[in-house]
Amino acid sequence: MSGHGRTDLDARAWLLWGVAASLPPLLGRNPFVLTATLLAVLGVRAAMAPSDAEGALAWNGIVRLAAVFASVGTLFNVLTAHLGDRPFASVPDSLPIIGGPLTLNALVYGLLSGSALLTLVLVGTTLGAALDWPALARLLPARLSTVAVAGAVAWAFIPQTVVALREIREAQAARGYRARGGRDLVPLLVPLLAGGLERAVTLAEALESRGFSSSSDQQDWTSAGPPWRAVLAALGLAGTLLGAYLLAAETPIAALTTIGFSAVALAVAGADKRNPRRRTRYRHTHWRQRDSVVAGTAIIVVAAVVITLAADPRAIRYDPYPSLIPPRVNLGLLAALTLLLSPVLVAPVRPSGSPSAKTSRSVQRVPLP
Amino acid sequence: MSLLAPPPQVRFEAVSYRYPQQAEPTLQGVDWRVEEGEFVVVAGPSGSGKSTLLRCLNGLVPHFSGGRFGGTALVAGRDTRRNGPRSLSRLVGFVFQDPEAQLVTSRVEDELAFGMEQLGVAPLTMRKRVEEVLDLLGIAALRGRDVATLSGGERQRVAVAAALSLQPSILALDEPTSQLDPWGAEDVLSALTRLNEDLGLTVVLAEHRLERVVAHADRLRFLPAGNGAAVEGRPRETLAAMDVALTPPLIRLARRIGWQPLPLTIKEGRACVRLDPRHPASPPTDRLSPVGRPVVVVQDVTVGYGSRAVLEHLNLDAGPGELVALMGRNGSGKTTVLRSVMGLHRPKTGVITACGRDLSRVDTAELARDVGYVPQQPGTLLFAETLREELAFTLKHHGGRGKDLETVLALLGLADAAERHPRDLSGGERERAALAAVLVGAPRVLLLDEPTRGMDAARKAALGTILHDLCAEGATVLMATHDVELVAAVATRVVLLGDGRVVADGSPREVLSGSLTFATQINKLYGGQWLTVEDVVTGLERGND
Repeated sequence: MSGHGRTDLDARAWLLWGVAASLPPLLGRNPFVLTATLLAVLGVRAAMAPSDAEGALAWNGIVRLAAVFASVGTLFNVLTAHLGDRPFASVPDSLPIIGGPLTLNALVYGLLSGSALLTLVLVGTTLGAALDWPALARLLPARLSTVAVAGAVAWAFIPQTVVALREIREAQAARGYRARGGRDLVPLLVPLLAGGLERAVTLAEALESRGFSSSSDQQDWTSAGPPWRAVLAALGLAGTLLGAYLLAAETPIAALTTIGFSAVALAVAGADKRNPRRRTRYRHTHWRQRDSVVAGTAIIVVAAVVITLAADPRAIRYDPYPSLIPPRVNLGLLAALTLLLSPVLVAPVRPSGSPSAKTSRSVQRVPLP
Repeated sequence: MSLLAPPPQVRFEAVSYRYPQQAEPTLQGVDWRVEEGEFVVVAGPSGSGKSTLLRCLNGLVPHFSGGRFGGTALVAGRDTRRNGPRSLSRLVGFVFQDPEAQLVTSRVEDELAFGMEQLGVAPLTMRKRVEEVLDLLGIAALRGRDVATLSGGERQRVAVAAALSLQPSILALDEPTSQLDPWGAEDVLSALTRLNEDLGLTVVLAEHRLERVVAHADRLRFLPAGNGAAVEGRPRETLAAMDVALTPPLIRLARRIGWQPLPLTIKEGRACVRLDPRHPASPPTDRLSPVGRPVVVVQDVTVGYGSRAVLEHLNLDAGPGELVALMGRNGSGKTTVLRSVMGLHRPKTGVITACGRDLSRVDTAELARDVGYVPQQPGTLLFAETLREELAFTLKHHGGRGKDLETVLALLGLADAAERHPRDLSGGERERAALAAVLVGAPRVLLLDEPTRGMDAARKAALGTILHDLCAEGATVLMATHDVELVAAVATRVVLLGDGRVVADGSPREVLSGSLTFATQINKLYGGQWLTVEDVVTGLERGND
């Protein structure tokens, strides 16, 4: 599984960092803000993510894929969005869809959207390499433990799938197979999906054999207790999805409100004290000063982004249509974004394969009698 | 004090089981007992039902797999039809074949605690048990390690420790060493022996490498192919009765030349040699490598990942008709040599040529017309709807040039599987299917990466014959393997790698004889240059003449 946890930072601190680093590319296209965020994330990634392990190579593959999508997206935007006041070339109108003026406005918007996508993927892959997923799963309420482990396992499949895809491509090249078009992808996808399914079945067997989700009640969290809990849980999940959509639709206040209500609904649905699951925890994590620093700086970044969005939206949002005007610079916000580098400054990195420092330092062991 | 014998840990009565969508049952009318504290080894050819039998112990069959289950299976007094794997997890620890796929957390210590957390074991007890199993399996030094950084043997010991942390009455292991190198396998099997002998843990082990375990087993159960009657008894009794092709070389020799009682260990075998008045004449000479212009030339090649060099200024060549075995510990560079010859790694320095072509100027798909490659995960090669279509694809890519499709399928025992989807084949069948898909193109060079992983002795012998015939037709074979018995039987040359360099290069007798780590069972017995059962039998016949 993934989740190597190569740093001695608490999973909650990493999660807050991830939220803070994701907000700017989610909320706007201001090039200064995007560049500052991208540089900060690259700095953290360079310092935290291992460069030689197979898992890291898999994450790098995902970043490369995102870079390809970003480039293709930019090209697509230039060829299909014929808007703006700065044409630099023209394609004959007789050609469907791509016919018309090609504008710098479309190129700029495509590049900014591509860099926003790349930043989000880099945030995800940095978390994938640095975050201790089992520790995160342990932090969730006991009733959500089944979902948490399933989520951690699913997350671990991402780099494994990328590695498997590389192996399949190589093996099939060794059989003389060349993928030339969309239909030729089938021979790549069939073994990829079948292999993934086989891995999933083996893992499921291993989980069953080791008593996964075998606490006394033997019930799933959504089915435990009175029906209203299940309804509340369903509403909470639906609200979370709606919140994510509202965020993407650039209505942050409505989005944050919806996500907040959804979190409360999920917490209430999961807090059934009459029939608690008997799952126990081996580790009890200890929140330290460095975790406070990273979490605190992440909260400052989130606050700076939200306040700026309310007070000076153009400092975060930027639209090159219909006129290519210079974007606004907000030095205060840019200064706040440099705080995203805090993990590099406060969290030492363990070399890949070394014993976890958490064992001796950040984990408060249960004392023997 | 009761004089009554304790009830058996396992009692199967008339157990039958058929997988969903299969016409024939895998188990039929199985009666079986395992007593408390016994070490039982389950052996048999691929597809004989070993894994299915073990999966009945913890309820994966039928609760997880579905299908039709008949009869009664009582494990520690519980009926497995009424108790699924979750509830049986406290009673039966289960270790799977693949060390990669069964670990569910990222850190060793967390892995050991995972099952206990699921079962709600109190934190104090968890802490105590984690310490105990760390010491029991000798893995205390690994406690904080990321599981991704462990070797295969270390992972399997962690898996055993994780199963033991629940303090089960029975430990069931489904070919836990089949994916491991000899050293990793030895570590795991030593740990099991200790657990059984020191703690009285009941161990049920499905295993192909009988030579390492029969001396420690209380009973050996042999499952023949095709639902035949199982043979079960003390290891000597079963080894005397089971298919000789599936027995270890020491037993094959003993049965061929009539040693009684059958020796189970090399030490017992040496005693037989001392007491036997017959002495083999001098060992046969080496099979001479055919002379010819090299087909594969690796010249001063350095290959690395990032700043880490895997091969360093390596020189190697192989001529037509040669079967070169690449040996060495894990990480010594065997797989990288094969991948480089297939053009999947670009060397930092040096030149590789195959069939007269500089690989820096040929792409892998083009090279595949002359060079065939079967990787460690053969399933990655297969993508067609049926096995026949797989082979047909290769022939099409070779412009129709190659071997007869039906002949290749028959040669590999896959004639009946021609119309099946490759993904529906069993593990062993899939290995052979991948080999068939490559062999049908009649490659001039064949690259095999650990082709005998998980293969039973009879299949290995069949593979040896195929490779021998291929070389006789002039093909060049490069095979990365840990399997010294196969190498002794079929290789014309052995190249021993260490840290990306050639440590030794010579005939099998030169390299394997007297080796501390790569000697065959027969060589350990007779020393000198004796390597195989056939060597000794022939030597004895000549000695009698």
